[in-house]
Formats: sequence, structure tokens, C-alpha cells
Amino acid sequence: MKLLSPRERKFIENRLRSIYGVEAGFDGFVLIKCGRRRIRAATKETLELASRLRGVQQIGLYVMKVANGAISLSVEGSQLLDGEIKNNIIELDEEQVERWMKAIPIKIERACRGRYVVGKFGRLYLGSARVSRNGLLYPQIPKWRRIP
Amino acid sequence: MLDEIKMSEGLREYLDKMPDLDLDLLLEAYRRPLPTSFRVNTLKMNEYEVLEMLEEKGVSFKKIPWARYGYVVEDEPFDLGKTVEHMLGLIYIQAPISMVPVEVLDPKPGERVLDLCAAPGSKSTQIAQLLDGLGVLVANDISFERVKALASNLQRFGVLNVIITLMDGRKFPRFARECFDKVLVDAPCSSLGIVSKNWGIARSWSPEIAKRLSKLQRQLIVAGFDCLKPGGELVYATCTLTVEENEMVVQHLLERRENAVLEDIDVPSLRYRCGIIEWDGTRFDEELRKTIRIMPYDNWAEGFYVARILKEGDS
Repeated sequence: MKLLSPRERKFIENRLRSIYGVEAGFDGFVLIKCGRRRIRAATKETLELASRLRGVQQIGLYVMKVANGAISLSVEGSQLLDGEIKNNIIELDEEQVERWMKAIPIKIERACRGRYVVGKFGRLYLGSARVSRNGLLYPQIPKWRRIP
Repeated sequence: MLDEIKMSEGLREYLDKMPDLDLDLLLEAYRRPLPTSFRVNTLKMNEYEVLEMLEEKGVSFKKIPWARYGYVVEDEPFDLGKTVEHMLGLIYIQAPISMVPVEVLDPKPGERVLDLCAAPGSKSTQIAQLLDGLGVLVANDISFERVKALASNLQRFGVLNVIITLMDGRKFPRFARECFDKVLVDAPCSSLGIVSKNWGIARSWSPEIAKRLSKLQRQLIVAGFDCLKPGGELVYATCTLTVEENEMVVQHLLERRENAVLEDIDVPSLRYRCGIIEWDGTRFDEELRKTIRIMPYDNWAEGFYVARILKEGDS
């Protein structure tokens, strides 16, 4: 685990702005790289205390994955940006939410810009889905939290 | 009906000796399934909005009086653990008495809290909820497999201010002495308070198991206490009934650390009794009356033991 450099953070902020229209991405939180592509968010105090401890496995919350310049937000990452996401939002109905949480592809009519969109049900954000060329959304719900 | 639950000979003899215990009622409690209950996650959404979502789906519930945000399900038309609300982390399914230790610990926003034996994370998520994003929670466990479940639950609950550590809790004071405002030691135990979940516990119980666990629990409580700042508070809890794993563990701490002081516990609407102060010809510190024993038949739920200990000194 390593803190993002100012350059890496700037890159993430720019991508969040261009893909999702987020202006103040994760302001007030520290962003930590874990592995090559995954990013976690935590408070500054949490990071400070972690530096004193041994056996640290994880800090804070997994918020996004960066892949070839595109950003896939986790469920919690999108919820943390609540209200700031302006673009690439797909409003879902109750039936689609069930499919989303089962990670079943969802067919949508409208065209999407970019490789990822964020699902929303009422006031709730549900993380990102990958958009395929044939207009199918593949929700990025990890196996352990899918509805069986 | 009574012979449905097979008890080991050792357990029957042990329970016969216990003061203030009704064996018939205990067996009756063991036979009943535990009620389904949950906490609403106010880190993610307003409590009443979540309750409204559940009501619309036909779930009926009533408030658990001793746990903030806790509800017991009255009518569950489907498995709550398979709902969108659960998978999104809007609710956390947790047994009703298991919510008591954190209510007694009463973490406040801004505090540093250590959960020494945290997996699978029910109590850690409850602590995080009461911290409300301010302060830090350190959730530790000794097992790699169990830490994975702990991490998933904390992620689903949306906890930002958390550090997950994988370590033998007994070694924690080596680098975190006097570091925390509050410590929870929810120690591994012989689980006689949750036999209704698994009748095999009663069949395989032996005094040797309790003695072996008691040794570990004594080391854990002292380690947890040493991690407290002066003026800080520790809650020791188990879901078992034996004196060796409960009062004798707390007695051990009082003998080893002279600045450890037991504090009163008051949990409104919960039925419980005070700690045992005499067992097997040994008399313990009178202060142990301040600890509480919750029998499974007191509230027709799990059995628990809870002690609240202050570390004297200027904070």
C-alpha cells in the first residue's frame, strides 16, 4: 500500500472529471494505491495511526479501479461521491437493480459515452458497470456481494 | 422433548452447580431459533428511509430498546440476507444481544477504538457506525480467513476510518501501548450462549475446553487493557456462561493491573443478572457484581457476559 503521488492524484481527478463530471473527487481523504490498479480512500488520521501499527492488511475503503485510463467505481466509491457524479449515470428501475446486484448484463437503449457508467436507483448509487459495444452493461459487482 | 439436545456429561454437571440458573428454561431457550434482527447503517442512509424500503417489501419489525438502530424482525417473508438492502450495506444482520457489548462500550465520534478479536465484524461495523466517520477503528483478528470476511463486511458497511490488522491480539501492546480511548475484547469462547445456533456445542463441551480458552482470554484481556490510554475504557464480552471464561478472567485482570476498575453497566429494557462472586469454594472481588450475565432465556435470544473496566489515570 502506497499513498498516491500528487501527479497520480491529479490524473485520477482529471479522469473523474472527464468521465463522471466529478469536480471535487475525494477531497478531504487520502488515496492509497493497493496493487497496480486498485485505489482505497481513508482519512488522514487513519493513515497516520496505521503507520504506527504492525500487521496492517487494509486501510479505509476500496473506492475504484483504474484500467487503461478508465475508472470503475466500487459501490462505496460511487456512494462516497454522492451528489457529485454528473455524467454517465444510468437510472435503474427495481427489476434492473435486482439484475445489477446479481451482476447480470443489462440492455440499455441510450448510447453511453466512455467505457464505464454508474448505476443509480432513487438516491442510491450502485457502483460502475462496463459498457460493451453492443449496448450491454456489465455491472462490476464482486462475487462475494452478489444476490444469489 | 428435553433429550433432543444432547449435552455432554461434563456440561450437565457444570450447569447443575451454577447458581441462579434454571436448566429447564435454558434447554427451552436452546431449542428455540434465535430471532432475526438487524441494524440500519446510518453511515449510508437515513434510518427511516431504509425502514420504509423494508416495509414496502413486506418486512415487519420492532425496535430493539437496548441498541441504537437495532430492530428485530417480526415477519420475514424472505431471507433478509439475500436482499439488495443487505448486499448494499444498508442493513447489517446481527443477533440482538450481540449488540449489547458495543452499546456498553459506547464509542464516541473522534475516539480511537480497538476491536481486538474483530472477525467477522458485526461489532466492528457497530463501532464504526457510532464513530460516525470521526476517529479511527482498528479491527484486528488472528485468522487470515476470518480477516477476509471482516474486510468484506467493513467494505459493505462503507467504513473509511478503519485499519484492519492480522495479528495475535496478545502481541498488540508491543507497539500500541496506551494508544486507544476504548478497547473491545470480544474473546473467543466456548459459545454456551449460542447453542441454539449449533446444538453440537453442548454435545462436545468439556471443562478442559473452558480452561484452555480461559488461559487465552486472560492474556487477551491484559493485552487489551495495556493498549488503553489512562482514563480509557475496556469492554470484555463473551457469548458463554462459564465462570472460568467470564468472572475469573476479569478477576485475573483486577489482580494483575491495579489501575483496572470495574464500572456499573446499565442497559435499559434488557433482562440480565449480576456477575457471580463465589465459585467452587473461591470468593472473588465483590466488584464483580458490576459485571452482567445475560442468560439465553432472559430475553429469549443469545446468552452473553459483559464487563466494563476503566483504566484509572489522567487522560
